[in-house]
Parts: sequence; C-alpha cells; structure tokens
Amino acid sequence: MTKRRMFLRMITASLLRRRSRMLIALLSIGIGATILAGLVTIYVDVPRQMGAQFRSYGANMLILPEDGETLTRGKLTESLASIPEEELVGAAPYRYVRLDMTTRQQSFTSAATDFGEITKTSPYFSVEGAYPSQTRQVLVGKEIAETIGVKIGSTMELTYQPTARASNMTPEESRVPGATLSGSAEGFGGGIVYVTAKLDENAAIASVTVDASTQTPEYGGRIPEDEAFMNQFAGKTLPLTLGDGMDALTGATVTSAAVLEALNSATEVTAALTPKTLNFTVTGILTTGGEEEGYVFMSLEDMENMTGEDRLDVAELSVSANVEKLEGYAEKIAAENPGVRARMVKRVARSEASVLEKLTALVFLVTLVVLLLTMICVSTTMMAVVSERRREIGLRKALGASDGSIRAEFLGEALFLGLLGGIMGAILGFVFAQVVSVNVFGSSITFQPLLLPAAILVSMAIAATSCLMPIKRAVAIDPALVLKGE
Amino acid sequence: MSLLELKNVSKIYGELKALDNVSLHVDQGEWVAIMGPSGSGKSTMMNIIGCMDKPSQGEVLLDGVDISKESSRHLTDIRRDKIGLVFQQFHMVNYLTAVENVMVSQYYHSMPDEEEALEALGRVGLRERARHLPSQLSGGEQQRVCVARALINHPELILADEPTGNLDEANENIVLDLFAQLHREGTTLIVVTHDPEVADAAQRTIVLEHGRVAREVINENFGK
Repeated sequence: MTKRRMFLRMITASLLRRRSRMLIALLSIGIGATILAGLVTIYVDVPRQMGAQFRSYGANMLILPEDGETLTRGKLTESLASIPEEELVGAAPYRYVRLDMTTRQQSFTSAATDFGEITKTSPYFSVEGAYPSQTRQVLVGKEIAETIGVKIGSTMELTYQPTARASNMTPEESRVPGATLSGSAEGFGGGIVYVTAKLDENAAIASVTVDASTQTPEYGGRIPEDEAFMNQFAGKTLPLTLGDGMDALTGATVTSAAVLEALNSATEVTAALTPKTLNFTVTGILTTGGEEEGYVFMSLEDMENMTGEDRLDVAELSVSANVEKLEGYAEKIAAENPGVRARMVKRVARSEASVLEKLTALVFLVTLVVLLLTMICVSTTMMAVVSERRREIGLRKALGASDGSIRAEFLGEALFLGLLGGIMGAILGFVFAQVVSVNVFGSSITFQPLLLPAAILVSMAIAATSCLMPIKRAVAIDPALVLKGE
Repeated sequence: MSLLELKNVSKIYGELKALDNVSLHVDQGEWVAIMGPSGSGKSTMMNIIGCMDKPSQGEVLLDGVDISKESSRHLTDIRRDKIGLVFQQFHMVNYLTAVENVMVSQYYHSMPDEEEALEALGRVGLRERARHLPSQLSGGEQQRVCVARALINHPELILADEPTGNLDEANENIVLDLFAQLHREGTTLIVVTHDPEVADAAQRTIVLEHGRVAREVINENFGK
C-alpha cells in the first residue's frame, strides 16, 4: 500500500466513522457554499432579472416629432427599427385629443393608443373589466368614470370638434368655395376682434359673424348688431378695403378696420371637418394613481376616423437596456429618421441604473458576510474537532508524525469536506437561487455550468483557510502532556 | 554495548527538581524496569528517553547520539526511527481498525504494509480481530494492538509506561510474555511500572526516589 492510499484511507475513515462530528462540519461548509452559490447565481443574474423587472415601471424612452413636423405611425415603425428587437419590450404610440361628450356638456382628453403595446410599456395599469379589443370601445380613467358615472358596458357619445386650424394654408389658399374662414385682428384699445365668414359656391362671402365684445360697447361694440354694416359683406370677395365698396361704422373706424383686417387674414378652419360624433362602449375602468385616470383611451383607428389624421404626439418605449445603450439608440433614431427625435426618460433610466447598482452592491455585501460567517463557522467546528482529537494528535506525534504530516492530514480532511460541501452547495445553491428568483423576481434562471467547479473550488478554499488556526493549534499539541492525561 | 546513557541528567521545573543529577546506562538488548512512587520522576525520565522532552542539564546518549540538544523536529525523527512506545491508556486512533492503527505507525515510519501489520497482530494473537475498531476490543486486546504497533517498525528500544496498569492478570501475563519474546529477539526494553511483579520480569530494576536513583536491583531469578 502506498503512503497516499493510507493517507486517503485515514482521511475517509475519519470522515465516515466519525459521522456526527463531520456532518456538522460538512453542514456548515455545505450551507455556506449553498448560500454563496445561490447569491453568486443571483448576483450574476440580477442585472438581467432586474432589467426585466424595471421594464414594468414604465417607459424609459420617448419618440417625439421635431417642432413643426408630424409623427405618423409609419415613421414610428421606421424609427423602431433602430432598436434590437429582443431589447424592445414595447412601444406605445399616443395621440392626445380633446373630445366632447355633448350629452353631459363635458370634455375630456382622449388618448388614442395601441392597447397591445400599453400592456407591455405600462404593465402597472390596473384595469377593471378589460382593455378594448376592437374599435368603438374605450377604456375610461377612474376619475372620469366617477365624475360622469359611466360603468363597464355603458355607451359614451364622443364628439370631435375641430377648433384648431386644420392646415397651414395661407388666407389666399383658404378662400375656396364653401369654406369657413376664421380670423382675428387687434381693434380699438388693443382688444381682439374675432370674425368668421362662410363662402358660397363662388367663393364669395355668404355670411359673416363678428365677435366685438372687447370693443367699446357704444361704438365698436355695436358692430355685430348694426345691420347696415353687417349687410355690406354679402356677395363680396376677399380681400376687402375700407372705402372700396366698404364703409366704416360711424364712430368706430378702428373696429371697422379691424373687422376687415381679420377677414382678410382669415384662414380655413373646417373645410371638410365638420364635428364628428361616434358612439363607444366602455369595456374597462383604468386605475393608475396618475393623470391617466383623467383620460379616455381609444384605439388609434377610431381616433383617425374622428380626426381624419394619421398623427401621433408621442410614443412611449420600454427598452431593456442600460443608460449608455439607451443614449445610443436615441441618437441613432434621431440621425436616421428626419423629423423625429428620441430621448431617454432620464428619471427612469437613471434610477434603474442606481437601484441596480445598489442591489448588486447589496448582494455582494451579503455574499461577503456569508463568506465570513461560513469561515467562522467552519473554523469553530474544526477547532472543536481539534480539541476533541487532542489525544489522537498527540498519539500520532508520539508515533513519529511530523508537523507537516499533521498539517497534511487536517488539511486533507478539510479539502475533502470542502469538496463534498462544494458539490452540495452548487446543487442546493442553484435550487436556492431558483426559489428566490421565482418568488422574488418571478422568473426562472438557467444553471451556470461553471457554478459547480467554482463552488467546489471556493468551498475548498474556505475550508482550507478556516482550518489554518485549528491546524496551528493541532501542531502545537505536546504529545507528552496529552498522553499522560487520564 | 550501551544503547542508552544518561549522564548527570536534571530536569528542573522552577523550584522542583523532577530529575536530580541522574546517571544511568542501558545496554543493547537489556530489559530494564524503572520503579518508584508517584512524583519520583518516572514520567519525566520516560519523556526524556522517549524524545518527548529535553533535560535541563546533562546529556542523554541514545545509540551514540546526544538527544538532549536536538531540535524537537529531530527528536520526532529519532523517536520514529528508534523507539516503540506503549502507554498505560493504550492510546489508539478510535476511528481506525486494529490493523489500521498498526499501519499508522508504519505510515509515519516508512511504508504502510497491511500484510506485515496483520502478521504483527498475529504475533500478539489478534489476527482475527484485525478489522475491529478499538471500541469493539477489550482493554487487554487494545494493549496488545499497541504492543504490535510498537514493534512493527523493529525499534531498537521499546519504551513502555505502565503497560499493565489497566489490565487484569491474564492480560498482564500475555503482555509480559510478549515482552519476554521481544527481549529474546534482542529488543531493548525499558518498562516503567509500579507493579513489583512487572518489575520482577525484567533483568534489572532501577528505583527512583525524589528524582534520584535510590538503588538498582539485579533480578537473580531472571529467565528462570
């Protein structure tokens, strides 16, 4: 028999035949290794886990039109091509329009969006009932629902009243047959005079209304009631000049001039856009705790139907990437898509990064503490083992064991324990990490093949380091003293 | 030829002189008993001869080498190579079997050899019990394993400290017979005891009192 085989035989006999003692040492190493392996697995997986988690706190990037430009659905799709598909969690387009509910004499901000994307970018939206699944359905914010008393299944009649200028046409371009023009000009004392004019089939003036409520009541303020003045317009074509077929109202020359100026600068408001009313069914009530509770959500299709425009105000993106990457994507989107700009929602992206950093640091710290505790635990156990085996050590020395042999034997036992503990730790640690991951992060993790050798090496190193003090003590044992004792 | 020689050896612990100017010599192949009441310096002498302690003064020559000045590391080597120890409490490694306990001694000395270890157990009549753990052996059996372990490396000197102190008469006789056998084979034996019967088995008895050699008795009846 070689010395090595005898060495192994002694070590295994010590571990196997002194089971209860060694089981404690093995447990302390094994549990330590388990927690360490688990924490390391989580540590490695935290950025991925948390990245996915953070995506549930809302969008971290916005795509907006440049000033004076329009963001269409097509442009948005093109812009999204700059972000890798696997990192794009969701992209919710939004168009905000003021709609009236004439039956209640109320008006609300209506947000048109893609409900499929909303569930991805804003998973925290809490919907009682269901998201609209087809057109002519709306999701109503809780605040609105409470104000006007709608319930799931209620019908809402919503009207789009085009008030803003529909186009950027010049006054001349606006003077088309059948057009309605509106304009304003500064009158007497700085007050604004508003006018609207309807044109007939020949683009001549059919009728004019004037709002001169800002003018002096007994002078310019009389214009809307003054039939002689008001009747001058019918059949005339714009532009108009005072004196050239048009007379000013006596005592209100400035206001009269303002009315003409307003008409001359008037542009078309609603050439083809008469108010449009649609009926919607409420499918759900939305609770978010935020301003969304004051909105009525509908599909982009319905909104386009009502406004006649393919136009988005903003798109909220949820991208699973760090701050640096997000900045890169934003630049790329702006560079490759003229008229479009993208920016990171700094608050979200930065807090994500800082929380991630803190969490990683925390796991690291806990790992360190567990490492230390494990070492103390193993060291204490081995210390107890040494005192328990004082006689045996003394005997071995009396039989001629050198200090080196004593060291080798204890170290051998420790490394053997480390090996077993490491295997145990790698397997149980993975289970531990899996349980934590599933319960805390709600997603499973994949087994890192490197974990097994790493756990074994680390726990062997821990076991060996923890044994340094106990071994020192073992070596110091005086055989003569020990062997004399009863 | 002298195997062991103590020249004016003293061991002083503070005020106490455990050994006080002791001189002694033991020839190769001799069987010597050391007797004396408790506190007479037996254990101290045993530790010094067994290379587990060093004298405060004097010289100890073992096989011509002065061990009183050696480093403890060297003493371990000398002990391993030249001395077989037998203790009163028959110390064994409790998780190793009888034969493994014998092999531990081989392991530290040179090469473990199971066959040889089994043979040694056979000499002490325990070949059948070779695979038993110490807890499964009686006191007498354990002490016989210790004798087998002491002789396995063919030491020049077997140093036994009260080897029969914890044994009944039957086992005491077995152990003494083993010693007699070893003596016939030329092994030098030094047996510390306070049992006169055990001392009577030796060729010569040295009586210690207060750390000094009080007297020496030659056993006239030796070998009869």
